[in-house]
Amino acid sequence: MSQFLTIQHLYKTFGKETVLQDINLTLDKNTVLSLLGSSGSGKTTLLKIIAGIETADKGNIFLEGNNISDQKPQERHIVYLYQEALLFPHLNAFENIAFGLRLQKMNESLITEKVHLMLKNIEMTKHAKKMPPQLSGGQKQRISFGRAMIIEPKLLLLDEPFGALDASTRSKMQELFKTLAHNMNLSALFVTHDLKEAIVMGDQIGKIQKGQLVQYETKNEFFNDAFSGVQKEIDFWKSIGQNT
Amino acid sequence: MIKRTLQYGFIISIGFPVVFLLVLSLGRRWAYPNILPEQISFANWEFLQQSDSKLFQAFFVSLGISLCVAVFVTALGFVISKFIAYSQRRNTFLVLAYIPYLLSPVIMAIIFQYYFIITGLTGTFLGVIIAQFLVAFPFGIIIYLNFWNAQLKSMEELSYTLGGSRWQTYKKVLLPLSKNALMLCFFQVFLISWFEYGLTNLIGSGKIRTLTVSVFNFVTEANIFYAALACFLLILPPMLLLYINKRFILFVEKTEL
Amino acid sequence: MKKLYNIKSFSTLLFLIIVVLPVFCGLVYATLYSFEIVGIINSGFTTKHWEDIIQGSAFWSSIGFSFYVAICSVVISLIFALAMALSWKKNLQKGALSTAIYLPLCFPGTVMAFFMFQFLSKSGFLSRLGFASGVLEDINSFPALINDAYGIGIIITSVVLITPFFVILFSNIYHTENIEAYKELATTFGASKRQLLQKVTLPILLKKSSVTIYLFIIFVMGSYEIPLLLGRQSPQMISVATVQKIQRFNLYDIPKGFAMSILYVLIIMSVLLFLYFRNRDYFKSETTK
Repeated sequence: MSQFLTIQHLYKTFGKETVLQDINLTLDKNTVLSLLGSSGSGKTTLLKIIAGIETADKGNIFLEGNNISDQKPQERHIVYLYQEALLFPHLNAFENIAFGLRLQKMNESLITEKVHLMLKNIEMTKHAKKMPPQLSGGQKQRISFGRAMIIEPKLLLLDEPFGALDASTRSKMQELFKTLAHNMNLSALFVTHDLKEAIVMGDQIGKIQKGQLVQYETKNEFFNDAFSGVQKEIDFWKSIGQNT
Repeated sequence: MIKRTLQYGFIISIGFPVVFLLVLSLGRRWAYPNILPEQISFANWEFLQQSDSKLFQAFFVSLGISLCVAVFVTALGFVISKFIAYSQRRNTFLVLAYIPYLLSPVIMAIIFQYYFIITGLTGTFLGVIIAQFLVAFPFGIIIYLNFWNAQLKSMEELSYTLGGSRWQTYKKVLLPLSKNALMLCFFQVFLISWFEYGLTNLIGSGKIRTLTVSVFNFVTEANIFYAALACFLLILPPMLLLYINKRFILFVEKTEL
Repeated sequence: MKKLYNIKSFSTLLFLIIVVLPVFCGLVYATLYSFEIVGIINSGFTTKHWEDIIQGSAFWSSIGFSFYVAICSVVISLIFALAMALSWKKNLQKGALSTAIYLPLCFPGTVMAFFMFQFLSKSGFLSRLGFASGVLEDINSFPALINDAYGIGIIITSVVLITPFFVILFSNIYHTENIEAYKELATTFGASKRQLLQKVTLPILLKKSSVTIYLFIIFVMGSYEIPLLLGRQSPQMISVATVQKIQRFNLYDIPKGFAMSILYVLIIMSVLLFLYFRNRDYFKSETTK
């Protein structure tokens, strides 16, 4: 078990509907795996199971060699981030970030110090006192990242985190996330339905469709696989290039 | 101009019953065709200084019952409704809750009265509290079911993944976010209990004299001045609540407050 | 996650005990009593009370009268409420009116019924005013509005209690559903003022509030305090009639009272189920997909 995260033969059904079927997946430490999947592919369920919010019917999840399948979400040190920033509406930006540290009953001065550093990292120092409704979509998402990363989770699960943002904010956030992931040695699963985003964000790429998952050894293998849709995309842009 | 006049007329006519009841509560002897009672005095209101007076006691009996019912329903309903809201059979539970909610409380009292008799609960303070609780609890559930939503559930889960225990999540996330729902439920149930007559009279078998029971007793005794006084006491707490925050006076399903 | 399942099933159990069990047990006892299988006078199984209730006219006329009062009250309230909510929409959002409209909600049925009695009865305030101003010659020329055969007093009282609620409801819906925007849109299609009201405003308001309106009909049908004070011996509303049967000194009326309760509960349940299947969306919420 040298792998950081390993998922073996995971199954999940809701009633008669099979949502996940024999999912196998591995992730190295300090890498980001992009998972490409459209809505209804089962990607959200998969992330929730990894986080411990949902339970699988069958299969095992190993984190750093330990089987965590039966652990409570609180014990897993895995944070799941939704498409919405889900900032706590009764707390300001600062307190939202401090939330996890306060749960650990960390002392006040250390919290202040850590949160200020995080605010700086996510370029939100100016907005520390603002309440969630006063923040823009991108700013909310930054706070949401800060809130997750400050407790230094072992693994970060991101479910279409930029799905609700406009194109320019989106590319800025991709940039920011990549820098942060690198600086903080993050391991993450990044789910998106956007082909380009999957390629940009991931060190590795997988594709989930109708509850089945294919993980590619290298990005090249992904580009060459007809199932991935990359070749189709390239052909499309080429055809435009030729016609003009 | 007509619109203004109509509005002022409307506001005055809304306030009229309050003034009317107040004047009547101060009255003595009101023979036809006098427009106002012949004597106006504070004699009826002297009960305020006599802790052994019927009205004084009725007020506190009512207050005690309503507070108990409201506290129990608010607390228990909060916890139970959460599991129901996120259950796959949520709609079945909701329809089940609507049955006692829609039935007239006095009819409810008729059909479960027997069980109160054999357990010796009729005519007791506890019996009335339990009976009112049974009627008000489904309403509490309905209020809360309008409140729990996917967003709140996600926040709760997020708190777990950030390391929050069940208790911490209740304390730091769910309760602060539920403050309005809790208050709404508390005041709504308080009012239901405060306004209740038929069921209270049946289960209390006349021995538990709440304010509403007093009103009817005074009416049968043809003592309209005391009845008016009891009526005035009945509308005081809701008016106080209206003054504090009108949002808690009514519960409108499915529309934003 | 084992522990969570325990809390979950415990909560479900508690819900069933508090919400379902009392009604169920009550119905079982009422059924047994109405067939004289249990009770003071039980003389063995008999269906005679049920036959009396179903074939007799007392129960059905009570139900019919309750329905008539409920429909009249709700329809009149709706007309008033729509008129007020639409013509005073700005003042209902802020100012004195926006608070005053809540005041009637502070009145329980008991108090409003008592007030109406003192106000509208033959010796009431209005009659005294009429006498003093010379409109009335004597007390008997004042019309019977209380304890009357048509339930006028009951209907007026119910209307006064319900109308503010509907006004607030419509005023809220008007804003949350953003009806103003729909109206602007319709205006660009060339809709006249009358068409805006008929084709946009009213349909949206009524559709959004339809279930609430049905629920209010049920509430008024089951009301007890108001008809108890303002109604008369015949026709009687269903709650009053049932309680009277149960509390009569004639023991043979008790099984009939129970039979009436059961029928009433069954009627309410079938209406609820009908509403549920007709309006699934209303009962659905964001928590279930």
